Amino acid sequence: MIPSHLRVTLIIVVVSYFLVILYFLKQKALNLKYTLLWLVAGGVMGILVVVPELLTRLIRIFGIQDNMNGLFLFCIGFIILILLSLTSIASRQNRKLRTLTQELAILDKRVRDLERDCAAAHDQE
Amino acid sequence: MENKKILVIIPAYNEAESIVHVVKNMMEQAPQYDYLVVNDGSTDRTLAICEQENFRYLDLSINMGIGGAVQAGYIYAYKNNYDVAVQMDGDGQHDAAYLEKLLEPIMEDEADVVIGSRFLEKEGFQTSASRRTGINILSALIWITTGQRIRDVTSGYRAVNRMFIEIYSKDYPMDYPEPEAIVSAIMHLGRVREIPVQMRAREGGVSSITFKKSIYYMIKVTLAILLCRLSYGVRRGKRV
Repeated sequence: MIPSHLRVTLIIVVVSYFLVILYFLKQKALNLKYTLLWLVAGGVMGILVVVPELLTRLIRIFGIQDNMNGLFLFCIGFIILILLSLTSIASRQNRKLRTLTQELAILDKRVRDLERDCAAAHDQE
Repeated sequence: MENKKILVIIPAYNEAESIVHVVKNMMEQAPQYDYLVVNDGSTDRTLAICEQENFRYLDLSINMGIGGAVQAGYIYAYKNNYDVAVQMDGDGQHDAAYLEKLLEPIMEDEADVVIGSRFLEKEGFQTSASRRTGINILSALIWITTGQRIRDVTSGYRAVNRMFIEIYSKDYPMDYPEPEAIVSAIMHLGRVREIPVQMRAREGGVSSITFKKSIYYMIKVTLAILLCRLSYGVRRGKRV
């Protein structure tokens, strides 16, 4: 079982983790939409620290013998999930950026054409 | 047939050496068609030359790769109600003299997408043996996945009708788009036709595909073709 002073340390870690996220959110350095997964990860961590029996039972279901291994596996799983969501965000933004650049180029051409037509009309007068 | 609006899209990334010749060749051989150079965020004098020579051009402020540049041309064609769009590389490999031939199947409404192929009559510049091998593999892959035999799957010399101007303006593959665009065309039940053309070795600049990149190219394009085929499933798209 997890020793009680380790649990205290872990609780402090989880609380400061939430404080850091809160700080970033207040500074508007993080978008709440993209922070949800981080918050869920923090929440799960919190629950596991408060009720460590849950972790033990959960990892037994998956057939993992060692508590620490189970914990690491959970962490890695979460990190992979978060990285995947980051890649998906980057891809979506890439798509949006592309559309914007293309629209900008087409607008730029339209402005140039209009300027030319205006100048031509002006010359005729 | 004569009153169709036709746009020739010429994507250009760092083609300062060849772009003038390409556009002049286009204006001499086929002055009746509109053309549009798409400067893909070049770092050389391509943009300055376009301005100086008073070419018709789009200027993408960020380099987006050939796919993004060509798609910008299709969006322009779609918004300006062009009936037919042709894409022709900005490096001088494609001769505007073949435009008429390329457009014929579309004008006669016998095809939706026409690809200019250097391998049908095996004349003109045939590219290196290793590249031909790569192209043959991709061609076979497209044949297996879609049942259509297209020889020159990487040819960037193609013409499409209004239906595909619309489809490509909404969704055009990125990175190395040519083979994938063929699969997408077949999946949309487009009539894809290949016609023989001769190509030249590029006049200036460097090919975008170096040896190191070619491995990445093959893996990426193979995956893209499979994914493109999968994402349409057995049902295939509907003709619009």
